[in-house]
Amino acid sequence: MTYRKLPAGVQDVLPNECRALTDIKERLQRRFLSCGFRPVLSAALEYYDTYSEISNRIAQERMFKLTDTDGKLLVLRPDPTLAISRIAATKLEETQTRLFYFADKWDMQNAGGIYNREIFQAGVECLGEEGAFSDAQAVAFAVECLRETGLTGFIVDIGHVGYFKGILEECGLSDEDAETVRRYINAKDVLNAERVLRRAGAGEDTLNTLLALPSLFGGAEVLDRAEALTENACARGAIAHLKKVYSLLVGMGYEDCVSFDLGTVKRLSYYSGMVFSGLVKDLGAEVLGGGRYDNLADDFGKHIPAIGFAMGLKRILIALERQGRLPAFPRPDLAIVCEAGAEAEGYREYLRLLGEGKSVMLFAESGKEALSRAKEKAAKVYLAGKKGLKEV
Amino acid sequence: MIYFALAKGRLADESAELLRKCGVDTSVLREDTRKLVLTSADGKYGFFLVKPTDVPTYVEAGVADVGIAGKDTLMEQDKDLYEMLDLRLGECRLCLAGYPDRKDALTNPHLRVATKYVNTAKKVFSERGEDVEIIHLNGSIELAPVTGLADVIFDIVQTGSTLKANGLAVLEDVFDHITARLVVNKVSLKTKAAEILPLIGKLREVVS
Repeated sequence: MTYRKLPAGVQDVLPNECRALTDIKERLQRRFLSCGFRPVLSAALEYYDTYSEISNRIAQERMFKLTDTDGKLLVLRPDPTLAISRIAATKLEETQTRLFYFADKWDMQNAGGIYNREIFQAGVECLGEEGAFSDAQAVAFAVECLRETGLTGFIVDIGHVGYFKGILEECGLSDEDAETVRRYINAKDVLNAERVLRRAGAGEDTLNTLLALPSLFGGAEVLDRAEALTENACARGAIAHLKKVYSLLVGMGYEDCVSFDLGTVKRLSYYSGMVFSGLVKDLGAEVLGGGRYDNLADDFGKHIPAIGFAMGLKRILIALERQGRLPAFPRPDLAIVCEAGAEAEGYREYLRLLGEGKSVMLFAESGKEALSRAKEKAAKVYLAGKKGLKEV
Repeated sequence: MIYFALAKGRLADESAELLRKCGVDTSVLREDTRKLVLTSADGKYGFFLVKPTDVPTYVEAGVADVGIAGKDTLMEQDKDLYEMLDLRLGECRLCLAGYPDRKDALTNPHLRVATKYVNTAKKVFSERGEDVEIIHLNGSIELAPVTGLADVIFDIVQTGSTLKANGLAVLEDVFDHITARLVVNKVSLKTKAAEILPLIGKLREVVS
């Protein structure tokens, strides 16, 4: 009976949930448009090679693959940001633009729950801009977008890959070891990080700094602590940058919405600077994630410094539900049931009322049963006859 | 309120004792009850007693903020969570074991490996570039080489007495220092920092 079921990790969105989803989407879209972002939608199908031959390869096992009629491998959009990066580098005239999208991201490895395989995302990409003010604006905009969805009690947690990269430089690790250490540090797994670093022959000083990384999180005071730990120019540059961003954010009024974590080290080859995540107490996983990716478009032939973020709308809905803040939707104002033979009159009244800005349902059936169903669906029910409407 | 996911069984008692030393009111854990969710008398802590292998699942999902789980389980499940502290409880090793006189056991081109730790075993052998057949068992792993179901086993070894009693021996230590770890949900650590960080600090003092 599999024909009645869905495969693992995907879900139908039923009307009540879909209504809330649409509502959030509309609110975000209004916000995006009013802030000068332009919509873009990348194709759902792309060539497998697009994602396997770039330097920021996506793991083969994470991509949904199909075979084209000519035998070429296709994938279902595995990463909207990479897709937009490709579009910006290969198809857009202007290199400086702000874009937004609503799109599904597909990840074959996710198992379900809040880790769905089909992930409906809302995202923005600010292309062709750099500097502390660009970064501060991105964080501030992330806060505004989360507010727009109705969430409360969230923070945006900020890190910077440059700090880790800088300290790592001192160790002279191979790319592979560096990636392994990054994963351990990102999981705050000091023990395994130490094991790999010692095996790779990292010096005692760098070792201590790297192992302190997982505890470098909290308020802005973390930045001072982090600065005192290293002499490395790249690492200190990252801290200086975050301090600039923070002071801008304080001036812009976002002091209470942000925290720092230098141990959050997202994929090094993808992100090039500041990174951030939106966290809500009511959900055990981030609802928003993003960062600066200045070199992502290089593979597609153009250097476009950029920053962006994406929100998982399903996760935001779950968090809203747990906060008791799901938007409520009133019933339609009116329902019209037509007497047999008065369908045309009923329809004309229906158009007139819609024109007045009311929300109206027109029933296809007539008779008592239709009337009682109409009463359940709408606040007010009219019976349409040859001579016009009559409230029942 | 902090929610703990604790593994039922031996580790639960040791974990409870450790938490008690850190000032957590764990008296509720000593009561003989069939309740699945327990709340400390002061209302500050909630406890879920779950199957050891389920601890990472509860913590990753954020249903529990903090959990105590064995490193073997954490490696096997590779969940997205923070591993904050080595609690140094229940130390053992993850080993390849089999008949010591069968010297070819580890170089057999079609090695059959019986284990509970399927993902970890796959990773270990693929890193070595070896093709092996992995046989998933849920318990009494030692029985596999004895009955001929597998050539070797990949399992935790504490004292090695079960192995010895069945004529088996450790052929290779793959991971040593497998102990209980304190794991924390990635969001809770930030959003409940005021409650969780002091607890981690105290635990660190107690175990070191």
